Amino acid sequence: MNTTTTIPVDRDVKAALRLQAAEMRREFARRGTLVVNVLSSPGAGKTSLLEATAGHWRNRHRMAVLVGDLATDRDAQRLAPFCPVEQLTTGGACHLEIPLVKRGLEKLGSHDFEFLFIENVGNLVCPASHDLAEHLRIVLLSVTEGDDKPGKYPQMFRTSDATVISKDDLHPHVPFSVENAVADAHVIQPELRGFSVCSLTGEGIAGWCRFLEETRERIIAEPALPDAAIPPASEPLTT
Amino acid sequence: MHEASLVRSLLQQVNDLLIEHDGQSVKAIRIEMGPLSGVERLLVEIAFEQQVDDTPCRGATLHVEEVPLSAICRNCNHEFNIERFRFVCPACDSNHVQITGGEEFRLLDIDIETRAEACSR
Repeated sequence: MNTTTTIPVDRDVKAALRLQAAEMRREFARRGTLVVNVLSSPGAGKTSLLEATAGHWRNRHRMAVLVGDLATDRDAQRLAPFCPVEQLTTGGACHLEIPLVKRGLEKLGSHDFEFLFIENVGNLVCPASHDLAEHLRIVLLSVTEGDDKPGKYPQMFRTSDATVISKDDLHPHVPFSVENAVADAHVIQPELRGFSVCSLTGEGIAGWCRFLEETRERIIAEPALPDAAIPPASEPLTT
Repeated sequence: MHEASLVRSLLQQVNDLLIEHDGQSVKAIRIEMGPLSGVERLLVEIAFEQQVDDTPCRGATLHVEEVPLSAICRNCNHEFNIERFRFVCPACDSNHVQITGGEEFRLLDIDIETRAEACSR
């Protein structure tokens, strides 16, 4: 005779992935590498920002880029003159996941970088759900996209540490209010840092790079701390 | 469409539990999702229907519980549900709030059928 039994589980379906990401994050910090997950809609200027960052740091910091796209290695070709880069071609996938990042790291060979940027697939939706072992999650918002985007993509802005408002040189030509965008974002993520840059002219790049340098110093001083870029969810306060 | 891969992972985890508990079949799978879990209920249900028959979970029913986005205010300890993604405490207007639920895609429990007594050696 058969009996039906209820097995209590109560765990995050992605618990194993979260744990793997947390372990990788600690290992990166131990080696002195700050990992930055760079997200935005397509065409907001992720690759241009990384070109400007690499140009600013030339001969000062060792950086590498893993760049994700559905097809082509165009972004990798753009970045190759500046730093080691590997293109992660996802086929049809709309976001990067840890196994793709690991494959990219193997292809890069050396792991001796002070900064590793993961340029995600252009998409403000799915990449928000995937922890790639980053210490910093950055979301770009170009002035041509409109200042109403944070409220429309709450998970993306909620899980980000900083937003970079890009294409600032076009600001006079479009109805974009930095104040509105920041206010909209702060309702979702009050601790979100904000930067305005123009990657083509270099405006704002020095401040952005300084923020990365300071964050790296902080992360490598306390490698045990950054357990989750995506905040550990649903754990009630114990106070 | 990462619902498909999440459901694949869910079914794998349920299969593992079935083996671990020496069960014969899975009757029910209860999951929980919230507004910030990054998955859409309808797409999860469709992915489940498409995949379940090819696994040892064949015949199982999926029960989905939708939970609200809940939070506690770090300033005044007020507990509340977040509406329309406004992460602001309705009691004191502070924006220092910690999410306490609604971010995850959780496996709550499963009902499995086990062969009783007869097969005990």
